[in-house]
Amino acid sequence: MIVSPQNYGNFLATNKHERTRKRTKKLFVSFRVCSWLNLLRVSVVSFCLVFVPAENSFAQTRKGKTKAAAKKIKAAPKNVASNLPKVTQIDATGLQNLLKPNGKPLLINFWATWCDPCREEFPDLVKIGADYKDRIDLITVSLDELSEINGDVPKFLAAMKADKMPAYLLKTPNEEEAIAAVSKDWQGGLPFTILYNANGDTIYIKQGKFKTDFLRAEIEKTLANQIRFQIFQLPMSICRPVTLTRKKSL
Amino acid sequence: MKKLSFLAAAIFAVAAFISFNNVSAKEGLAIGATMENFKLTDTSGTEKSFNDLKGKNGAILVFLSVQCPVVKGYNERIVKLAEDYAAKGINVIGINSNSTETMEKVKAHAAENYKFPVLIDKGNVIADRLGANVTPETFYLNAKNVLVYRGAIDNNKSSDSVTNKFLRDAADADLSGKTVAKTSAVAFGCSIKRVTE
Repeated sequence: MIVSPQNYGNFLATNKHERTRKRTKKLFVSFRVCSWLNLLRVSVVSFCLVFVPAENSFAQTRKGKTKAAAKKIKAAPKNVASNLPKVTQIDATGLQNLLKPNGKPLLINFWATWCDPCREEFPDLVKIGADYKDRIDLITVSLDELSEINGDVPKFLAAMKADKMPAYLLKTPNEEEAIAAVSKDWQGGLPFTILYNANGDTIYIKQGKFKTDFLRAEIEKTLANQIRFQIFQLPMSICRPVTLTRKKSL
Repeated sequence: MKKLSFLAAAIFAVAAFISFNNVSAKEGLAIGATMENFKLTDTSGTEKSFNDLKGKNGAILVFLSVQCPVVKGYNERIVKLAEDYAAKGINVIGINSNSTETMEKVKAHAAENYKFPVLIDKGNVIADRLGANVTPETFYLNAKNVLVYRGAIDNNKSSDSVTNKFLRDAADADLSGKTVAKTSAVAFGCSIKRVTE
């Protein structure tokens, strides 16, 4: 394009106008892209918050972690010889290992066959275990004498149809150490129920019989918080700026 | 982004804090605090005063239960404790705070097992005041009614596995004017069935 000196002024004005228009268009396009991204993000969060039901725990999509959790806490094996649920003996160290959640909330109930309130609340515990199957880990730790590990303890578990939950019997020379490892607020009384969230934070403890509705509400809250926390993290990871790196030639 | 992360963490922390408020622990009388005199009825229905029952060097309050197998497992040790410390001027006093155990049962259980008085803590008033939670749980109060030790008798409910006699160590140290190294301990036991539960 040839520009004569006479219309040079007009050319400058037109060109300036053109550049401004292009710049504005660019800005507008970027703004549109950002808006769409934001809209997408808000939609994902809203959809998940509203439509993702509690039973479809987001944690389950994290296959690696869930598989690892499943490996560690499996359904209680049967005692082959007697066909009764298997009860595994643990010491204080074994107990400490059990207290670490594996990507899911962890509910632990300490009980004994000689403890009346423990036996009374057990059917509710079994029901909770069935209702929240795969969403929380539920284990029981018996404080019975070691002599009952193949006797009254598995018999009671069988009678309660509690063969789905891993069962342990704690035998330790230092009860105080074991109690302190579980919670500083536990005075050693049975039954004792403790709920940890997936991060291992104590959410609920109860010495004495738990109130079923209350415990269920705490589990629901913990699961909901877990989903929300993960959803909050998801869009952030999606929208994190991606750094493009030039491929190195070999 | 940082703001969002912070917001999420804050919401999570608040939710966790609210939930954790469900955790209840009965604190009761602190070590070094003085227990005021109290009156309860014994198994014969007679009102007894703590100050009248305690020994010249103090008293050991033991929270008991008729049904609790852990108490049953400790009975022999409790009886021996009462004999040994009566000679040292410290009287053992039993207290039953379980709302589920009747006067008749407590009376029969006490007559069968103990030579020391067993008081009925109706409405778990004294259990609440002291912060007793399980049976058997002990509170050693010295001559001035100052709480010196609270908690487990020893470190295992099985007598053959005991390696630390917390209560005896605390009482002996206090009697000899030494500092009590361990002023509290916990062990497995039966939860006290309170009237409010």
